[in-house]
Amino acid sequence: MVIAALVTFAALVVAWLAAPSEAPTRAPAAKPTVEAPLAEVA
Amino acid sequence: MPEIDSGDTAWVLVSTALVMLMTPGLALFYGGLVRRKNVLSTIMHSFFVLALVSVTWVLWGYSLAFGPDAGLGLIGTLQWVGLEGVTGDPSPIYASTVPHLAFMAFQMMFAIITPALITGAFAERKRFKAFVLFSVAWATLVYAPIAHWVWSPDGWLAGLGVLDFAGGTVVHLASGVAALVAALVVGRRLGLVRPANEPHDVPMTVLGAGLLWFGWFGFNAGSALGANGLAAVALVTTNTAAAMAALTWVTISWLHRGSPSVLGAAVGAVAGLVAITPAAGFVTPAASILIGFGVGVVCYGASLLRLRVRVDDALDVFAVHGVGGAFGALATGVFATVAINPAGRDGLLAGNPRQLLVQALAVAVVAAYSAVMTGAILAMVNLVVRIRVPSEAEEAGLDLAQHGEIAYGS
Repeated sequence: MVIAALVTFAALVVAWLAAPSEAPTRAPAAKPTVEAPLAEVA
Repeated sequence: MPEIDSGDTAWVLVSTALVMLMTPGLALFYGGLVRRKNVLSTIMHSFFVLALVSVTWVLWGYSLAFGPDAGLGLIGTLQWVGLEGVTGDPSPIYASTVPHLAFMAFQMMFAIITPALITGAFAERKRFKAFVLFSVAWATLVYAPIAHWVWSPDGWLAGLGVLDFAGGTVVHLASGVAALVAALVVGRRLGLVRPANEPHDVPMTVLGAGLLWFGWFGFNAGSALGANGLAAVALVTTNTAAAMAALTWVTISWLHRGSPSVLGAAVGAVAGLVAITPAAGFVTPAASILIGFGVGVVCYGASLLRLRVRVDDALDVFAVHGVGGAFGALATGVFATVAINPAGRDGLLAGNPRQLLVQALAVAVVAAYSAVMTGAILAMVNLVVRIRVPSEAEEAGLDLAQHGEIAYGS
């Protein structure tokens, strides 16, 4: 049981080593548009 | 066979939970001190260590720190790896009136917060993957041996008679010195304009300091390992030193800068808590007032010095924990008295100058070992993954660059 626990933790360490070092780049969130019905009417 | 005492066991279990809460408290304390673009990454350091060391401590950390001595009092064997043989029965060696597992869990919380303390030094610029690898290695190669030296009955510093009630050398000095080395190795933050761009949330920091103060009752009074008079002494000295250090820090900042700093009250209280940690169960409440006052003065000076040097220990870990831990360890050698704790030793003022020398030796050895090993671990980690994030990631902030999240909406 202890061996299985150690191996499981070792698998996590390997996964950490293989994981990306930087977060995926994200495009800036688009600014919400504001409807201006009165201006359109005008 | 020693018997379990229900009162002692209840107190140690509650203390374990109190100390556990200190690490999220530390996350808030540090999180408020950084810029808003790095608050999540800073909080994540402490929170992740809580999970990480919880597992490594069960797997091998406890055995290395408290297991049967491997020889020369330097480190424990792997006989208790995976907590083999550590059960609900009391240990004949440690805390003979509580389950061995309860003692193990209490010590686990100390092992968790110690590497978390270091993270304040490299906040805002360390790559998360490097931090994870560093934390595993540091908890194993630095914390566990030092804990064995001081707290195992077979430890070589314990054999010399060093007094460290709850971790002045093991926790605070070791982490404070490691923080200084880490700050030197990682380098200064980019674009830092002091003090205009830090901290971003003082209320968060004050809340964190409050949680630390609360949890510290478990840290120090819990180290009596029983619901008894010694726990009451430690609780009173802990509260008194924290209060006196906060009063002292605020007073100095009031005279020095012209206003009573709220942040100073929080940092001053933490400095007092650090300094009383090794002394809490060995000194009188009156002595704790002097210790709180002394550490308030010394750590305030150390924090001013930090602003004048080029080492960017971002959140003053060395000034508070390194200097405060050393001050507390030496103060223990001055103020300790067997009138408070017959299991302890008299200090300088009780006619035993040798104790001060033993405390000074422990400070020197723990500081040197932590410094050398921290430098070596960082060098090794840097071979696997670069410790520092690229400059563009640092400018964007680690919350977004490392974790893909932001703390606050626009």
